[in-house]
Amino acid sequence: MHYSRNLLAATAMALSLFASPQVQAETPADTLVMAWNIDDIISLDPAEIFEFSAAEIAGNSYERLVTYSNDDVSNVYGGAAESWTVSDDGLTLTFKMKEGKTFASGNPMTAEDAVYSLVRAIKLDKSPAFILGQFGLTPDNVEEKIKLIDPMTFSMTMDKAYAPSFVLYCLTATVSSVVDSKLVKEHEVDGDWGYDWLKTNYAGSGPFVIREWRPSEAVILERNDNWTGGDTPAMSRVIYRHIAESAAQRLALEAGDVDVARNLTPEELEALKSNPDIKLQQGAKGAIWYLGMNQKNEYLSRPQVREAMKYLVDYHTIADTIMKGKVTVHQNFLPEGFLGAIPDEPYSFDPAKAKELLAEAGLPDGFSVTMDVRSSGDTPAIAEAIQANMAQAGVNIELIPGDGGQVLTKYRGRAHDIYIGQWGPDYQDPNTNADTFAANDDNSDDAAAKPLAWRNAWQDEGMTKITRDAVLEGDAAVRAKMYEDLQREWVKTSPFVVMFQQIEVQALRKNVEGLQIGPSFDTNFFYTVTKD
Amino acid sequence: MTALPTPTGGSRREWLLTDRPQSRRQARLGQAYRTWLAFRGNWLAMLGLGIVLALIFLAIFADVIAPYHPTIGGDLRTERLLPPSWEHWMGTDGQARDILSRIIYGARLTLLVVTLVALIATPIGLLVGTVAGYFGGWVDTILMRITDIFLAFPRLILALAFVAALGPGIENAIIAIAITSWPPYARLARAETLTIRDQDYIAATRLQGAGSARIIWKHVVPLCMSSVIIRVTLDMAGIILTAAGLGFLGLGAQPPQPEWGAMIADGRRFIIDQWWVATMPGLAIFTVSLAFNLLGDGLRDVLDPKARK
Repeated sequence: MHYSRNLLAATAMALSLFASPQVQAETPADTLVMAWNIDDIISLDPAEIFEFSAAEIAGNSYERLVTYSNDDVSNVYGGAAESWTVSDDGLTLTFKMKEGKTFASGNPMTAEDAVYSLVRAIKLDKSPAFILGQFGLTPDNVEEKIKLIDPMTFSMTMDKAYAPSFVLYCLTATVSSVVDSKLVKEHEVDGDWGYDWLKTNYAGSGPFVIREWRPSEAVILERNDNWTGGDTPAMSRVIYRHIAESAAQRLALEAGDVDVARNLTPEELEALKSNPDIKLQQGAKGAIWYLGMNQKNEYLSRPQVREAMKYLVDYHTIADTIMKGKVTVHQNFLPEGFLGAIPDEPYSFDPAKAKELLAEAGLPDGFSVTMDVRSSGDTPAIAEAIQANMAQAGVNIELIPGDGGQVLTKYRGRAHDIYIGQWGPDYQDPNTNADTFAANDDNSDDAAAKPLAWRNAWQDEGMTKITRDAVLEGDAAVRAKMYEDLQREWVKTSPFVVMFQQIEVQALRKNVEGLQIGPSFDTNFFYTVTKD
Repeated sequence: MTALPTPTGGSRREWLLTDRPQSRRQARLGQAYRTWLAFRGNWLAMLGLGIVLALIFLAIFADVIAPYHPTIGGDLRTERLLPPSWEHWMGTDGQARDILSRIIYGARLTLLVVTLVALIATPIGLLVGTVAGYFGGWVDTILMRITDIFLAFPRLILALAFVAALGPGIENAIIAIAITSWPPYARLARAETLTIRDQDYIAATRLQGAGSARIIWKHVVPLCMSSVIIRVTLDMAGIILTAAGLGFLGLGAQPPQPEWGAMIADGRRFIIDQWWVATMPGLAIFTVSLAFNLLGDGLRDVLDPKARK
């Protein structure tokens, strides 16, 4: 029997695997090692970064024109810019740069770099370019709209008098990071604005320098000694180790191979609470979990069906069990912490009510639809729970798992029935979510702008107009009221079931202090980290 | 046919084991009985057979045997991730479903995959192999090169590629596995056919005017059958593992179907603290794969004339 020999070998191997975590391997005292799933990184160019992990890396290695306090998002202050003034007609902002800043390369930072960075982002026109583009900046006119006044001053002219808070929040986004124009120009090839080079290289001035990125393996950052934004960071090196499997992250953390684990499941976090070497910290994130129902589907396009679906998610049970400690129930598109956010919770799990609504829609026996599910992380578990919830009213859901790319491509092509996923705001202004969830200017298949409302083939002209008006409202209180009213209407009629707001939980070794969890993905800072 | 003496009691055994059978039927039954006796002596093979029969029994009577519903879970707040106990012999999973019930229903999917793959792949392999071996020449060259192409890829990788093209789902997984598992049978059947086709009795049949199709179907295929059956049985474990692998990768049976591989993938989230979620379906796959291997081994010992002592 040749099987038994193989079996023995396999058993021996399995045993050695279990034994290995016993070996203690501590990380160096001046190095922070984080275990994180970083397979979403596609570029390190601030003009292109639109992914969670790359945004965090950019937040720690580049300086943005404007920034806000992690403790109080309404406290907006200068990053690379010292101060700004708004012209009387509200169309032009003039920025004065901070004196004495230098890039990691040693080049001094001037207004020229800021102008170059903004023009570059618009000219390259990658995914995040719209954040600046919404002020009427296009690749054709950007050089006239963003002008150098003197070496330390530049101005930006917009097509409308947008609310200053809106403009400033947009300038806190990764895309407004200031790049080292001299260094990037040296690597320009055929007028590509240094795009090919910066994709995998670094030209910034932040507290850390990106030393190396090995896809699906690691990102290595080193302290930038030219940084002047605060006290010298205690860590001379920060390493992101790509560990996809959460159980492997936990083992590495418990063994001391890593200092921080970022993708643990609720069960693993619960189990770690009893480990004296480990502590947990958490912070509310702007990301929300939602279902998007494609209005091209004949069932989902009926208003009663849309509403019935909102009664068919057992919000609180899922938040308390499968997603325990990682989410809170939230049903509006503006996450807690944003201007105009409301805590209203109009829907609860009520299959009987949903059945009534389905009967009104002419579907007393329910119907069948598919749901596209990203097959990693927490998504499949939530999707299965929702599948069981919906089955109680006769709504049969067939889950179609796929990797992130597959599922998103289908979603962006409006080929799904129901999509389940997360949405993270692009900048800290309420318009970021209103614009994508409530507004849709063109619902045709070849529309230029493709917000989430478009992806679900839904258009409401009234709500689109309110969204467009709200960005021109200078009075913050009036503006907040507009968003509150908009959400109360939106939550009833939209094809979105917003379910949860994310809480980011990090598990750290006891000796790690000062790791910040900001409200967005690019404000998790580690320049304040110490280890003792 | 001559009238047979009615076998009764102890004489039935003698009737079967007689070395002077009175009819073809008696000879055939006697041969089958001797095979069974030889098989019965191999207790490992009997264990394998017992497990496979138990699996079939579970699959057929899943509705009656399973204590809980396989896809509708209990209360998420109180019945989630319970360790094995009297209420839930194998514990409950992340969606508060009884794992034992899911494994019992999962037996249906496993058997479905194994049976359909065997029914699809075996005839294809037999046909390609016997035709190639019987005709030889360019027919042989073309068919065997096609077989070589399929053999050149690792089976799971090829199945992955087919499922990726066809779309995930249990039916497509079955098709993909069937497409990737016939080449070894074709090779085997061709080798057997090569030794058979020049035998005198084949020539005699041909002289009597039998066409190629008849010779292949009536005289070549039956002689290839025993070695192919052994090979198929031994491959069952591989088929189960491939199906579970596809399920694990999210390309096989879709949730909430209780497919064993998908159940393990689901249990990965809890593998350190709630070990039973991934372990129980893993044990099920292990047990059934082992059973098919033992059964295949036993069958080879009794069916393969060359290996007979």
